[in-house]
Amino acid sequence: MHIMTVKQLGVWAILLWPYLLTVSIPLDCREEQSSLSRCPSISQEKLLDRVIQHAELIYRVSEESCSLFEEMFVPFPLQLQRNQAGYACITKALPIPSSKSEIQQISDKWLLHSVLMLVQSWIEPLVYLQTTMDRYDGAPEMLLNKTKWVSEKLISLEQGVVVLIKKMLDEGMMTTTYSEQGLFQYDVPPEMLESVMRDYTILSCFKKDAHKMEILLKLLKCRQTDTYNCA
Amino acid sequence: MKKVVEVFLLFLLLVFTPHAKGTGNSPPGKPTLNRCRSPEKETFTCWWEPGSDGGLPTTFALYYRKETSETVYECPDYHTAGKNSCFFNKNDTSIWVNYNITVVATNALGSTFSDPVDIDVVYIVKPNPPERVTVIVLEDKSWPFLRVSWEPPHKADTRSGWITLVYQIRVKLEQEKDWETHHAGQQKMFNVFSLRSGGTYLVQVRCKPDHGFWSEWSSTSYVKVPDYFHREKSVWILIMVFSAFIFLILTWLLHMNSHSLKHCILPPVPGPKIKGFDNQLLKNGKSEELFSALVVSDFPPTTSYNYEDLLVEYLEVNVPEEQELMLEENKDLHDGCLKSECSTSDSDSGRGSCDSHTLLMDKCGEAKEEERQTDQERMGTEAEDMVSPDMSSGRVKTWPSVFSPLPQYSSNTLDEQSSLEMAKQHYLSDSQFLPSSTSSYLTQPGHGTKEALGPSYWEFCLSNKQPHLLHPQTQARQQLQAHSDVDISSIGRKQAPAGLQSPLLRPTEYVEVQRVNEEDMVHLQPVVSGCGQNNCSPQMPQGEDYSKVKGVDSDNVLLLQRNMMEEDRCPCEHQETNGVKENCYTSSTVTTTQKPTAMPVQDEMVLGMNGYVDTATMCILPTY
Repeated sequence: MHIMTVKQLGVWAILLWPYLLTVSIPLDCREEQSSLSRCPSISQEKLLDRVIQHAELIYRVSEESCSLFEEMFVPFPLQLQRNQAGYACITKALPIPSSKSEIQQISDKWLLHSVLMLVQSWIEPLVYLQTTMDRYDGAPEMLLNKTKWVSEKLISLEQGVVVLIKKMLDEGMMTTTYSEQGLFQYDVPPEMLESVMRDYTILSCFKKDAHKMEILLKLLKCRQTDTYNCA
Repeated sequence: MKKVVEVFLLFLLLVFTPHAKGTGNSPPGKPTLNRCRSPEKETFTCWWEPGSDGGLPTTFALYYRKETSETVYECPDYHTAGKNSCFFNKNDTSIWVNYNITVVATNALGSTFSDPVDIDVVYIVKPNPPERVTVIVLEDKSWPFLRVSWEPPHKADTRSGWITLVYQIRVKLEQEKDWETHHAGQQKMFNVFSLRSGGTYLVQVRCKPDHGFWSEWSSTSYVKVPDYFHREKSVWILIMVFSAFIFLILTWLLHMNSHSLKHCILPPVPGPKIKGFDNQLLKNGKSEELFSALVVSDFPPTTSYNYEDLLVEYLEVNVPEEQELMLEENKDLHDGCLKSECSTSDSDSGRGSCDSHTLLMDKCGEAKEEERQTDQERMGTEAEDMVSPDMSSGRVKTWPSVFSPLPQYSSNTLDEQSSLEMAKQHYLSDSQFLPSSTSSYLTQPGHGTKEALGPSYWEFCLSNKQPHLLHPQTQARQQLQAHSDVDISSIGRKQAPAGLQSPLLRPTEYVEVQRVNEEDMVHLQPVVSGCGQNNCSPQMPQGEDYSKVKGVDSDNVLLLQRNMMEEDRCPCEHQETNGVKENCYTSSTVTTTQKPTAMPVQDEMVLGMNGYVDTATMCILPTY
């Protein structure tokens, strides 16, 4: 099962690589002054598809990272108790609809904004996560690579959602600027178990939020194509 | 007494009453939540396992608390999902939030709480199996395949993307026990290839969300594949037949050519064989016969015959110009004469020598060997002294071949006889010369150096002419020439200058030994043309004696000089010729070591290049 998902991930990565590159390229060329640069314009549907695929991939990788981390570092008794240590997900406060009926009631705009909020709120913690992961002894290379990859792709996802919002909602948004100061900045590295639990919480929360993004985007897509039958 | 019994009974009653009642009144055992499942991520159900009963009717209650709030709710529906279950409907289900669920068992004596369980609905999704699985057999150029199609469980909202399902199919033949699993991804249709003709297949499908559990396998669908002819098989049959055919052909070819093949692959090893050697004799043990067979009659090789074959050479003698014409006229005639004479000669070089004008008809006289042999007997011992290998055989064939007077020979028997006599003469001359020679003979052709034999009235030129008549053994020719040189030198024994004097030769003149005088001088005379063959030999209008052999030069050049013959000493057959003084001149460089002083005429000698007289340098004999 694990190997299969890794393989699938690899296939996904290969397939989506050009998509990711496209997402990272600024797609709105009306702002460009230079006439020489050839901006590839992409249709809204294709962009949405690619964003969804991107989100799916991110979710897959995060899921694998979380299970990998759980196997390696989290003691068995604590594995089921995700919030045992008391660390709540950082996005708890975000007004994300939590049921299908609720999601059906919110508008497209709100969907996109929710997604954007989620993405933007996770960029920094993932960067922080990388630094803490390096401190672990014997952290497998794969785990580090995955978390690194996810954090990078999240930035691309953000850009894609921004463009999407601009296209769909005609709103200009600002991408987050990376700030040094983060919520999780600690002067003294905490003890091992605590750190492990915190990282574990981060990973699982992120995994959940990645799934949220994916679902929201998919619902948005459904609404674009078939307004009346979608949830 | 009664009181004791009563107390005892009461005691017993108290003791056994609880046993009679079983477990008795105790708080219920601890229930356990064993699983919670959501089929479509919109509702979910939790099941628990009750603990011990405790003897009293027990009620269960499920309480949950959501992650975001502290409010504790009780299970809204205990009955929909069956016994010991709790069903959460859509309104009560929130995804992406953790539920903290606890089950409480309560009886009259107390209640027991189970361990709390945290669940997130997203992670407990286990969809229903796919529905409406259909399997049909489709034809693909006589290779059928199965097309399996299905639909997602009706509750799962895959259309809106709320839940994404991936599918899996498994197929197996009816008789077999192992399933063949195929992953179908998110598609709702799948093709199965490589079917067995006439077999019955079982097909099942299941699904799973991208995060969650596999559903149960759908109900089995049966399908029977019709019988079809395996096209591949037919192709294979064709190939087999074809290759068998080719194999048969190859085998037949091999059989036909087995012999040659055997020779090619396993060449016969030549065994040791000796000619004339009979293995049987050896086996029989008769060694005498055996070894007698080994003795080859002609071993050690008597070289005379061979050498005679090899020595195809004729001498050319300078003749006066007058006779030259005649000679040339008679050339053909002589050839004819010669050829007739040579009929008995050997096919080998002998013919060539015979055909030559100037050659002595040694070959021609081969048939008359016995005659010669008689002469040889006389000269046998002397002949043996012959240095030249030809002579040693006693058959001075080469000699005579050199000296044979060509023009005189003809088909006429008379001529033959005369020629024979001439040959005899030659023999005689030859043989006579040899013993008288004081100086050592040339042991080998072309080595003649000393041989300053007496002057031999012999002049001849080794003609290089008519190479076509000669045997194409050039080396033999050379040998012959050399031999001639030697012999010539031997003839001229009277005076032995240091070197033989090369004869003065004319390229086109031929010479014949006319006679041999008593002084062992060979008289040569030019070939007379025009005269009848019968008369050629005896009638020599101008007997010209040719120069004697003065000697052999160091370069193996026969030095001849002309001599005037005053008298003919030959008794009968030979015609005396008048030696004519001839002036010789050489046309080429002459290397002469000495000039004979005794001779009135001193001729310049011309030395040949290879030990024989170069006919290019000829002496022109004044014709009479």
